[in-house]
Amino acid sequence: MSVIYVLIPIAILFVLIGLAVFFWAVRSRQFEDLDKEGFSILFDEKTVANKDKQDPPAP
Amino acid sequence: MSAVYCFHCHEPVPSGTSFLLEFDARQRQFCCAGCLAVADTIISSNLADYYRFRTEPASRANAIPKELEAELSSFDAPQVLEDISNKQGELTELELSISGMSCAACAWLIEKQLRQLPAVHQVNVNSTTQRCHLLWRADTTPLSGILKSLASIGYQASPFIADQEEQVFKLELSRYLKRLAVSGIMTMQVMMLAVALYFGEYTGIDASHQGYLRWISLLLTLPVVLYAALPFVSSAWRSVKARQMNMDVPVSLAIYYTFFASAYATAFSTGEVYFESVCMFTFLLQLGKFFEYRARSRARDATSNLLKIMPVTATLLKNDEQQAVSARRLQSGDCILVKPGETIAADGQIISGQSSADESMLTGEYAPVSKNIGDLVMAGSINHDGLLQVNVSKPLASSRLGQIIALQQRTLSQKPAVLQRTDRLAKYFVERLLIIAAATFVLWYFWLDADRAFWVTLSVLVATCPCALSLATPTAITCALARLNRSGILIKNAQVLDVLPELTHIVFDKTGTLTEGRFSVSDVTLFSSDYSEEQALNLIANLEAYSEHPIGRAFSSSLSTKLALEQVNIVVGSGISAQFNSRQIKVGSAAFCAVTPQAKAMVYLCADNQLIAAVSLHDALRQEVPALVSQLQQQGYQLLMLTGDSSDQADKLQQQLGFNQMIKGCSPEQKVAEITNLVSAGHKVLMLGDGINDSPSFHAAHVSVAMQSGTDLSKNQADVVLLQHDIGLIATLLQGSKAAQRGIRQNLAWSVGYNLIIIPLAVAGFVSPYIAVIGMSFSSLLVVSNSLRLLK
Repeated sequence: MSVIYVLIPIAILFVLIGLAVFFWAVRSRQFEDLDKEGFSILFDEKTVANKDKQDPPAP
Repeated sequence: MSAVYCFHCHEPVPSGTSFLLEFDARQRQFCCAGCLAVADTIISSNLADYYRFRTEPASRANAIPKELEAELSSFDAPQVLEDISNKQGELTELELSISGMSCAACAWLIEKQLRQLPAVHQVNVNSTTQRCHLLWRADTTPLSGILKSLASIGYQASPFIADQEEQVFKLELSRYLKRLAVSGIMTMQVMMLAVALYFGEYTGIDASHQGYLRWISLLLTLPVVLYAALPFVSSAWRSVKARQMNMDVPVSLAIYYTFFASAYATAFSTGEVYFESVCMFTFLLQLGKFFEYRARSRARDATSNLLKIMPVTATLLKNDEQQAVSARRLQSGDCILVKPGETIAADGQIISGQSSADESMLTGEYAPVSKNIGDLVMAGSINHDGLLQVNVSKPLASSRLGQIIALQQRTLSQKPAVLQRTDRLAKYFVERLLIIAAATFVLWYFWLDADRAFWVTLSVLVATCPCALSLATPTAITCALARLNRSGILIKNAQVLDVLPELTHIVFDKTGTLTEGRFSVSDVTLFSSDYSEEQALNLIANLEAYSEHPIGRAFSSSLSTKLALEQVNIVVGSGISAQFNSRQIKVGSAAFCAVTPQAKAMVYLCADNQLIAAVSLHDALRQEVPALVSQLQQQGYQLLMLTGDSSDQADKLQQQLGFNQMIKGCSPEQKVAEITNLVSAGHKVLMLGDGINDSPSFHAAHVSVAMQSGTDLSKNQADVVLLQHDIGLIATLLQGSKAAQRGIRQNLAWSVGYNLIIIPLAVAGFVSPYIAVIGMSFSSLLVVSNSLRLLK
């Protein structure tokens, strides 16, 4: 059972990382407008990038 | 073929028009040049994803008129910009309020569009509050350039001055979130370890393992006690200093006493630990506080575009030169120019021009008031159609608008105090509990068994730990708030739930509250047999569809078939003319149609100078009102109507609905006085209203309710906002508050009863701390689950 002396500190480390990520998210205003953040995954630069790829490279 | 809908705004495309654009390899149709231009801009700037992912159609885009462009540039004057923005080095920081946003995709579109401008440094759009936070270089791109860029994709933006209070609110909300996360996540960890410890008790556990798990629990509880529980401690400390014990005193005592006792047990490897109780208790209380705070801040967000009505800019006339100035800096004696559609920036007297003004913001009446030379105009009212020169008589701060806002702030501090029953109970309870605990310790230490004194005292404190008592009210209120919120009632001040069950008087405003607050067709008189009533109304509706005038909207429901009109011509302030079936059709005032005015009629329809129909309009009663009034009267409430309207419509309504009392022609001050009279006579009063003129009386009443359709100012001030267009929700609110009160009573009865039984047992030493903790958890659970019933 002495493995818990190693595993529990590791678990605590993960908890702290999770908390740090949450604090960062709060600070970067991600909780102010939940609707917009839900949409952000749909919109990215991908379509623009694809278009660039489809265009034949300029000579 | 079914009707064709505009690709941009999803409104029907009028037949005979052709606005086409190719997108995704298909020809798309548009309803007007405005929508086409907006879609063209969006697609050609690589922002077409908006059309692929949006969930709501856009609002109809109107081409930017020349006057608007001129108006926008008035924001560029350095003096004006200084008053509405903050300087951050070379950058300028500004908040914009945006109209025309329909879904979250709009937020994305606006951010993208603005980021394409090289001068824009940072932009963040909030789709729920419809606001945009902007940081840009004002020296390279003027503010009007940014506003024009937004207009080109179909959004109207105007500068917005956020009040300081709002900033504080936002900061506090994110603090709540962090505390909630800390206590929630730590509770899970500590609970997990607690399970291991519980099982260890039964199956046997190495002393070293037990000590280790306890130390880890102690470590994990530290952030909860030192960070998440801080608000309770500071509130308790304030209340102790003020010698007014509140519920936070026993809460803090319980948290810290249990924590230190457990820490002692951990350090000296004796006794029991209760870290999981500490964490769970903190978490549950934080959760309740967080929900209440979030409801308040959501209500604020949705309603706080408050300063929007305060005029920002004005056109100053000096030596026949026009100059854009900040409205706040106007002095009495200045002469300002007010263009059609502009908000009048100061109280004053008209020295040239004639027009009509919309004063509904201030008086609550929707009919425009005609203004001629020598008439007085008020700051905050909207100039409809004529160009006016106004001699400023009072600066903005001492204008009627400024006074109403000041009156409000004065009445704010006079809000009748709400009885805080649980707090009184808590005070009583805490004092007795501390005395009993001290007596127990003394008793055991000196006479019975000095060794057990500490642990018996602990079990007295833990078993009676006021958890259940302090959870009784907040959990019930949280659940009741959530339940009411779901049915469309936003409660910003949870204390109203305490008062509502004792309510005796309900005061209604008339316009916009009992009535729809907009015009609808009441009566049509036909003068020609060429058209039926339906056809005539349809014809009017077709012409009025071109107008933005409030009267035009009265006809929108009469639009049945789209007619092919030609040569549509809008004469601002008079009417609209068009060619239809080679007849000259005119819709508008009697003078515009060149006919003799009929009694009460407001809109006339002419074909080839021959009168066809005269239509009178009225502000119709809301459908649900008669049922609500009779229901409330049956339940024994006294109903009053206080209205600023002095016309006979008030009397008619009184006859129809039969209020217990009706006073018409009330000024805001009179309304406050009436309500104050009722309050001082010992009645519990609810005020329901929608206008700025109602908001001072909101503070005079015990409970204030604003309509969703009301002005932002009134929604901001009210305790309760009805989110749906249905004042029948008042009945739901009253019912919900009674259910909440019942829940609270049951919870209190249980927790007080439990404590009365457990205290003597604990003092006698029959309750081991272990059983104490089970008893405490069980009674807390019972209280919480009883509260959860309120959610249904």
